[in-house]
Amino acid sequence: MATKLNEDRATKVEEFQFHVIPKRTTWENFQNAVYDPDKQEFFGRTKRSWYQLLIFYGIFYTCLAALFAICTRGLLATLDDRAPKWQLETSLIGTNPGLGFRPISSETREGSLIWYNLKNACTTSKWVNLLDEFLLPYRVKQIGRNYRSCDFDEELGDGYVCVVDVDSFGPCTSGNNYGYNSTSPCVFLKLNKIFGWVPTYYTKGQEGMPSDLKETIENEAKDNRTAVWISCEGENPVDKERIGGFNYYPGRGFPGYYYPYVNTENYLSPLIAVQIMNVEPNAIVNIECRAWAGNINYSGSDKNREGSVHFEILVDDPRVT
Amino acid sequence: MGETVVIIFQHGRSDSYRVATIPSNYDDNKTADGRAKSRRKNVKKTRKAEDLDDLKQELDIDYHKITPEELYQRFQTHPENGLSHAKAKENLERDGPNALTPPKTTPEWVKFCKNLFGGFALLLWIGAILCFIAYSIQASTVEEPADDNLYLGIVLAAVVIVTESKSSKIMESFKNMVPQFATVLREGEKLTLRAEDLVLGDVVEVKFGDRIPADIRIIESRGFKVDNSSLTGESEPQSRSPEFTHENPLETKNLAFFSTNAVEGTAKGVVISCGDNTVMGRIAGLASGLDTGETPIAKEIHHFIHLITGVAVFLGVTFFVIAFILGYHWLDAVIFLIGIIVANVPEGLLATVTVCLTLTAKRMASKNCLVKNLEAVETLGSTSTICSDKTGTLTQNRMTVAHMWFDNQIIEADTTEDQSGVQYDRTSPGFKALSRIATLCNRAEFKGGQDNIPILKREVSGDASEAALLKCMELALGDVMSIRRKNKKVCEIPFNSTNKYQVSIHENEDSSDPRHILVMKGAPERILERCNTIFICGKEKVLDEEMKEAFNNAYLELGGLGERVLGFCDYMLPTDKFPIGYKFNCDDPNFPLDGLRFVGLMSMIDPPRAAVPDAVAKCRSAGIKVIMVTGDHPITAKAIAKSVGIISEGNETVEDIAQRLNIPVSEVNPREAKAAVIHGSDLRDLSSDQLDEILRYHTEIVFARTSPQQKLIIVEGCQRMGAIVAVTGDGVNDSPALKKADIGVAMGIAGSDVSKQAADMILLDDNFASIVTGVEEGRLIFDNLKKSIAYTLTSNIPEISPFLAFILCDVPLPLGTVTILCIDLGTDMVPAISLAYEEAESDIMKRPPRDPLNDKLVNDRCSQVPAISLAYEEAESDIMKRRPRNPFSDKLVPAISLAYEAPESDIMKRQPRDPYRDNLVNRRLISMAYGQIGMIQAAAGFFVYFVIMAENGFRPTDLFGIRKQWDSKAVNDLTDSYGQEWTYRDRKTLEYTCHTAFFVSIVVVQWADLIICKTRRNSILHQGMRNWALNFGLIFETALAAFLSYTPGMDKGLRMFPLKFVWWLPAIPFMLSIFIYDETRRFYLRRNPGGWLEQETYY
Repeated sequence: MATKLNEDRATKVEEFQFHVIPKRTTWENFQNAVYDPDKQEFFGRTKRSWYQLLIFYGIFYTCLAALFAICTRGLLATLDDRAPKWQLETSLIGTNPGLGFRPISSETREGSLIWYNLKNACTTSKWVNLLDEFLLPYRVKQIGRNYRSCDFDEELGDGYVCVVDVDSFGPCTSGNNYGYNSTSPCVFLKLNKIFGWVPTYYTKGQEGMPSDLKETIENEAKDNRTAVWISCEGENPVDKERIGGFNYYPGRGFPGYYYPYVNTENYLSPLIAVQIMNVEPNAIVNIECRAWAGNINYSGSDKNREGSVHFEILVDDPRVT
Repeated sequence: MGETVVIIFQHGRSDSYRVATIPSNYDDNKTADGRAKSRRKNVKKTRKAEDLDDLKQELDIDYHKITPEELYQRFQTHPENGLSHAKAKENLERDGPNALTPPKTTPEWVKFCKNLFGGFALLLWIGAILCFIAYSIQASTVEEPADDNLYLGIVLAAVVIVTESKSSKIMESFKNMVPQFATVLREGEKLTLRAEDLVLGDVVEVKFGDRIPADIRIIESRGFKVDNSSLTGESEPQSRSPEFTHENPLETKNLAFFSTNAVEGTAKGVVISCGDNTVMGRIAGLASGLDTGETPIAKEIHHFIHLITGVAVFLGVTFFVIAFILGYHWLDAVIFLIGIIVANVPEGLLATVTVCLTLTAKRMASKNCLVKNLEAVETLGSTSTICSDKTGTLTQNRMTVAHMWFDNQIIEADTTEDQSGVQYDRTSPGFKALSRIATLCNRAEFKGGQDNIPILKREVSGDASEAALLKCMELALGDVMSIRRKNKKVCEIPFNSTNKYQVSIHENEDSSDPRHILVMKGAPERILERCNTIFICGKEKVLDEEMKEAFNNAYLELGGLGERVLGFCDYMLPTDKFPIGYKFNCDDPNFPLDGLRFVGLMSMIDPPRAAVPDAVAKCRSAGIKVIMVTGDHPITAKAIAKSVGIISEGNETVEDIAQRLNIPVSEVNPREAKAAVIHGSDLRDLSSDQLDEILRYHTEIVFARTSPQQKLIIVEGCQRMGAIVAVTGDGVNDSPALKKADIGVAMGIAGSDVSKQAADMILLDDNFASIVTGVEEGRLIFDNLKKSIAYTLTSNIPEISPFLAFILCDVPLPLGTVTILCIDLGTDMVPAISLAYEEAESDIMKRPPRDPLNDKLVNDRCSQVPAISLAYEEAESDIMKRRPRNPFSDKLVPAISLAYEAPESDIMKRQPRDPYRDNLVNRRLISMAYGQIGMIQAAAGFFVYFVIMAENGFRPTDLFGIRKQWDSKAVNDLTDSYGQEWTYRDRKTLEYTCHTAFFVSIVVVQWADLIICKTRRNSILHQGMRNWALNFGLIFETALAAFLSYTPGMDKGLRMFPLKFVWWLPAIPFMLSIFIYDETRRFYLRRNPGGWLEQETYY
């Protein structure tokens, strides 16, 4: 029926008719575009037309939003609350954890620079506060609940997590301002959590390891060698000259009993506090820390950093110029 | 330069009418070379504008009016001796060579540079420069700068250079314009000089076959005739003699013009103007000096570019500012700006449009329409008025016998080029008698060596009407020359203007009858005066009043057809008075020239080409007005107009009405007459308003006796009245109009070089019907470009929205600039081009023509876009009428050109588009592409993004606000929803995988978009998936996406990472919903034609 009507309308094609083109200035055109008094149009549409359009798009976008919501629901339904859908090799996170360091500025623009002025309490308290905040979860009462004190020779049951002792960080304590009132600040390192990742341990010194780490491993009791080892060094020779070595608390490694991470409630990442001894003031010191395990690959470039972390320390000391 | 152009433009539009129609009032203060001066002396203008203005005036000289003595004196020349060598040399140095200045062409590199900074190029350059700036700043501040910006900058610059460097070819012309040599008298010696060396005042000799070397005043002539057809459009040769016969230099007999041909006789003349100052030179100068303006498609494209650029700049600047307000670093803000520009500009679109137009141009070339200017491909589709020249365009430019009157009835002769018309009885005694006269009383002969050429196309030496008779007789009787030999001519009095007859006496081929035959032909009324009897049905009857009445009716009828009528009579001389061997005396006729036997009439016309009436009808049924603009006489013009359908049957002119009602013309209300025949001399006196009125109130118009300048004025008038004008023509006199027209169409075989130079399109077979093809192709390309654009623009929304989300919601970037380029220049290109091959919707026939009222309401949208690929969608007629597809015909894009569908017939059954309302890209197209389909696509992209993020650990709600941490290299342990900590490198891998997946999801939803863009109204079920180019496009884009994602090394080069197969799937619900939504929408469109949905969404 409708097509027939169309046909009737289509059969008569009128020849082009000449017509006079109204001459209007650009300004008049613009005025007309905003409001055309003849047709009562605002921006080319009557009020009614605007409402119709609004309703149409209202319905359209509601339907689209509904579709999107349904799809998202569907997506969430396929996800587990505790375990990511893709893990380890199947996930893009892979099986190669990096290291994280604290304190890190909350301003991303400051990057990985830890800068403080020994004579300016503001600059030092910033880092102390950041660390206090960071350690807050660790200071909760780790008794009862699902915490267990772990040991190398003891299996941890399902649903339990190992305690991390905040008192084992030697001089790196809040009371001590984590060393940020001196030229020997503490930096906390942690190994990135990857769901289900289990390290393969180096129970012997490896080629490439700094000699002091090798030594530490050799000195460790055989049973206690299942750990992810940590080493820190100045990145470049000049950086090495500017520091007086590192102290690690509570030890050189993240003990193996913390792994695997399976998103158990209250899980706390094991921490190692690294005290950088006697940083030369008024110079940026690049420091790179590295995690050692059989299944951690190392790559040192900025964009493709793997199995390691990089940060800079700048201690301003007005007394030394 | 720019200023000059503007001035010309204003001047051309507003004043040419007035300037050219002011009646000439002669000015004594002429310059030495007699050039007319500008009438507008007070206004300060540039030299060029003045020149052009000057050229637009009617020729205004007095050389034809002055006495020969004055002429010689003025040029210091002598009729017998010519110029002195010294004077000639002096003149040559003063005036320069006698040659036309070739039109200035813009050097290729200038055009290239212009392209480099036109269109989107500027925007992309800005993007590229920003990239370089961002990179250099990063390079100087960061140890390991990201190379992204450097690469992106290079790619953007490359895109500009590659896609914008289209070159156009300019045809060479004018080289054949100037005759090679001329015979000149100098110091009493006859010299043969190169025509370039002729100077004013030279006395030249011209003989038949020569090209006139300059404008000359004839001082001596012997039977001299010139063919002025290329200059004035008159189809018959004009005789030229020393007498001054007309005020108008073009009409007077004593001037012959540069580059016209001498066809008969010899003449001697004085050169009165040379080179660019000749009539021909002025016309050529006028043509090449005209500013032609943009083609409709270029206007649409520019409008579109402005729109898109406006949107890009607006969004870019807005978000640049927002980024600052939100506290982003300025370098970040610059990078946002780059992203928004890149996402907004459809980089591949202009290239696609060019490819589409090229494909169509190739297709048209294969149908004998050669398009010189690519953009002109579409122009014919928008054409609403065709101004056609008559001679050589609508007609064959060849006098042919059209009618005969004998035995008291009018017989129609076959005038078709291929003799396919009706045949008449060639055995009646009346015809035999008539043919004998026509054969014998005829001096025309075929030139030698043409035995293999069809009779009608052979060249003939002699007068055009005699040639027509000769050909007619050769066709009817066979070998005319042998008949003439058998009937030996014994005496002849040639035609002259006082007698107006030609007579010859022949021996009788019938040896039993010794009588001589006297045969005579000439002006019918003069012939009739000399007759006493008339030969009817084999019997000789007394020529009584009744017969004279019959003769008069026939004469009037044939004359009214615009035909040149000749009367024929014969007489058998009695043997007693004129025995064999009788000495006939031609100079003092000693034989009877009265009391002859009238036999019949034959009438000749330059007949229309066979295909023309049909083509005119097709154009008119497609809503195109066809106007005839000719230099020929009104009666002939009107007759041809009637026979080809420009004036349709039953439509009367003012004169017709006056004649019918028997009242003076002045009493007829001009509004009652639908048709009009306007004489050039009347046109001179009309104001532009009056011309507008004529154009508006007469539907069928013929302009006769128009000068080249007036043709130009008519074209300008039509354009002023809102028409897109096509001009067809073959002569030099048409060239200014051809140039001024929106599209000039020249004839490839018969056309003069100047006309070809001025035209945009050349019909290689001289067939007017090819114009219909052009209109069809043009309309199809316009429809298909719309589809292409709709398809291409749609993906802009899913390209822009990630950036907006990135800035406003602080999520990791869902789609990168490189991937955007992969879409715009990679996966979207081939499908977009393939849409060009799409068949037309079969029910275009059933589509209602555009309703102007509705269009007014909703059609004033802003932008026009040349899109690329949908342009190739072809229209089809019915499925039954479709040509079989030739899958591998197109060599240009062999892989893509799988489908080659015939255009549909009904594209020709709707009105031409209104260039002011019906834009390539309108509000509805934008609304569809951006507001609806684009939004669904963006939703699909974001959904895929969320899926990948969530499945890897970042649930949607946790994504918001983490952008800064995400993008910070210092943060090596970003926590996800499951407590996992991500290094920078792993995060970026995840992000780029999301980019890849977003890209893939756009490809997936573009499948549906491509399929829905195939049709604007029909269901896909109806249209089918027979466009193999499009099917290939689907596969190609998918394969390309897979290639980009899975090829090893792409992660380094383009940052594309392999996707899990399941990540292809989340976009599918959205793809389906696009498909279902649009099918539903089109279902309602079909059910409720003209309804709200159509007004809002039917682009």
